[in-house]
Amino acid sequence: MSLLEITDLKTYYRASDGWVRATDGVSLSVDRGETVGLVGESGSGKTTLAKSIIRLFPKNAEIVDGSINYDGTEITELTDRQLRKQIRWSEISMIPQNAMNGFDPVYTVGSQIVEVIRYHEDDTSKKEARKRARELFNELGIDPDRIDDYPHQFSGGMAQRAMIALALCLSPNIILADEPTTALDVVIQDRILETIKEKQREIDSAMIMITHDMSVVSETCDRIAVVYGGRVVEIADAETIMMSPRHPYTLGLRNAFPDISDEDKDLISIPGTPPDLVDPDEGCRFAPRCPFATEECWEVTPEAEDYGDGHMVECHRADEIEYLQEEAAKKETWMEQEIGRPDETPPEVTSDD
Amino acid sequence: MGLREYVIRRLLQLVVTFWAFFTLLFVLFRLVPGDPTSMFILDGMTPEQREQRIAELGLDQPLHVQYVEYISQLLTGDFGQSFIYREPVIDIIIVRFMNTIVLMGTALFFAYLIGLTFGALMGWWRGSKFERGGIVVTLAARSSPEFWVGIVLLSVFVFWLGWFPSGGMRTTGGELGGGFLARYGSTDFLRHLFLPALTGAIVFMATPTLLMRNTMLDVLNADFIEIKKAEGLPERTVLYRHAARNSVLPIVTVMAIATGAAMGGSVVIETVFNWPGMGREMVRAVNSNDYPVAMAAFFLMGSVVIIMNFLADLAYVYLDPRVEYE
Ligand code: SF4
Repeated sequence: MSLLEITDLKTYYRASDGWVRATDGVSLSVDRGETVGLVGESGSGKTTLAKSIIRLFPKNAEIVDGSINYDGTEITELTDRQLRKQIRWSEISMIPQNAMNGFDPVYTVGSQIVEVIRYHEDDTSKKEARKRARELFNELGIDPDRIDDYPHQFSGGMAQRAMIALALCLSPNIILADEPTTALDVVIQDRILETIKEKQREIDSAMIMITHDMSVVSETCDRIAVVYGGRVVEIADAETIMMSPRHPYTLGLRNAFPDISDEDKDLISIPGTPPDLVDPDEGCRFAPRCPFATEECWEVTPEAEDYGDGHMVECHRADEIEYLQEEAAKKETWMEQEIGRPDETPPEVTSDD
Repeated sequence: MGLREYVIRRLLQLVVTFWAFFTLLFVLFRLVPGDPTSMFILDGMTPEQREQRIAELGLDQPLHVQYVEYISQLLTGDFGQSFIYREPVIDIIIVRFMNTIVLMGTALFFAYLIGLTFGALMGWWRGSKFERGGIVVTLAARSSPEFWVGIVLLSVFVFWLGWFPSGGMRTTGGELGGGFLARYGSTDFLRHLFLPALTGAIVFMATPTLLMRNTMLDVLNADFIEIKKAEGLPERTVLYRHAARNSVLPIVTVMAIATGAAMGGSVVIETVFNWPGMGREMVRAVNSNDYPVAMAAFFLMGSVVIIMNFLADLAYVYLDPRVEYE
């Protein structure tokens, strides 16, 4: 049994015009020590999915269905108090996107680390907690004396390291890393990612890496789940996702990021925007943007299909892998005017064509 | 630059501000259009009496001499004699000023205590019935005229329930004198204080409540609030130690200015409750051309505003580590 087992999870937001189905029937498992990437554009629902694991969402959101089993504990059934005391931070912690804003600006960084340690560990004295914070700073390459500095006195990279120290201070079993490096410049990005990976291996914790950046997941993750429209549309080990994905959305995402092995590769972005998740219709949610959409795609929601080794894909045409991969690599395929539902926008008859 | 240098520099600025304020007062009161001496001359004086009076007041001196004289008088707390009471101004005004400080201080203290707490909760429970109800109550309090609030409280608590005295500061015959505590700490005094202070609190409460709610809504969107929740900290801790603590920062300045302004006293509250404070005294002084008293009143009010601003700046530096000492 996996450390974390999410089954058919549905997290909806109440909006004025209905339910926003931010996470709509997702199943995902994470093993001990494993790193799973959640990739998708912003608005795909990847962050809601991750935060659902610790039920960290606004008051208008709700887990309406499904199960989150963490090491034998059903998280959806815990009271708020149990969740706070037993799960949050001590078992599952997180590293936010913008570390600079992740600390309360009016307290020193050290005191905030001490605060969380002492809340979760009744027997730890303030002195011991401070000592641990200093040790963590040292291990993460920050001068331990800086625990008495305020967040605004830190540089972006240093704040991110301090945030990692905060995330690790209770040795959690899972770390949710939400775009942990996007706010940083490229040189620092790699170093921070390395640091995260290193510490993660050291305390043998699992990690869920949330990002829109294919190159980040390809370097750091064991498995990658591609999220679109509130669903995991494709999941497989990192190599499969990078080398031979089957879902058109994955193919599109891959196009949008530079390939280390092929420097001259054109970057192609997927036209259009993520779908509105308020009471979506039947049919594949990617169909409005998918260059390969057929009539069936618009009518029938694709079911997940297993292509071996845990490679699951939700696409009617996933078995045409060679054709899809070949076509998806061409720039023309992703031209805006080529896609969209044919019968919705009848082609205009022009005389010179 | 360290904290100490900052405080020293702010102190120097304070001196300069006071000097500018003194000068402004001087200009306002001496160089008003028309014959400045007319303010000091009572009707029915003979020309000789006039001359004598003008010489007495030093108004025959050149302006710069008058100015130096004026500054030195202010610094020694000498505001001259009241035209009406025939007593030193300082004696009249200081007592009134203390009465106002006690009344307004109490009102402001409760207004901000309750306002900040309610505002914080309203922001925290955004979209709840509590928030909506709170806004209605706050707006109602804000738009009620002071005299109306005072009269309603009077009719309920005094004329109907008979719990509190109807006005004044102490029951006649109650012994006066003694130290500050004896004057302002007696049960009799507190009973007199309750209703006017409550009126003030109700009137002053709206600003901190609404401001606090608004800044709370901003702060609650900040990333660190989500992290604090993810850390598993109890709601109470996140609400007070983090969200409210950050939300209060922009209110410090507003609070200082409100306090400064309130120290001028409220004519309305003082009139409704027959409270011998600065507001009424100032109106009286202006109406009866009691120029020395009016000037002393302006001087005290302005000084309080300046000092409160200074304290607000210091408090801000203390409360917000991000402030650069510049
Ligand atoms: S199901 Fe159809 S529309 Fe959806 S991704 Fe596959 S080919 Fe495109």
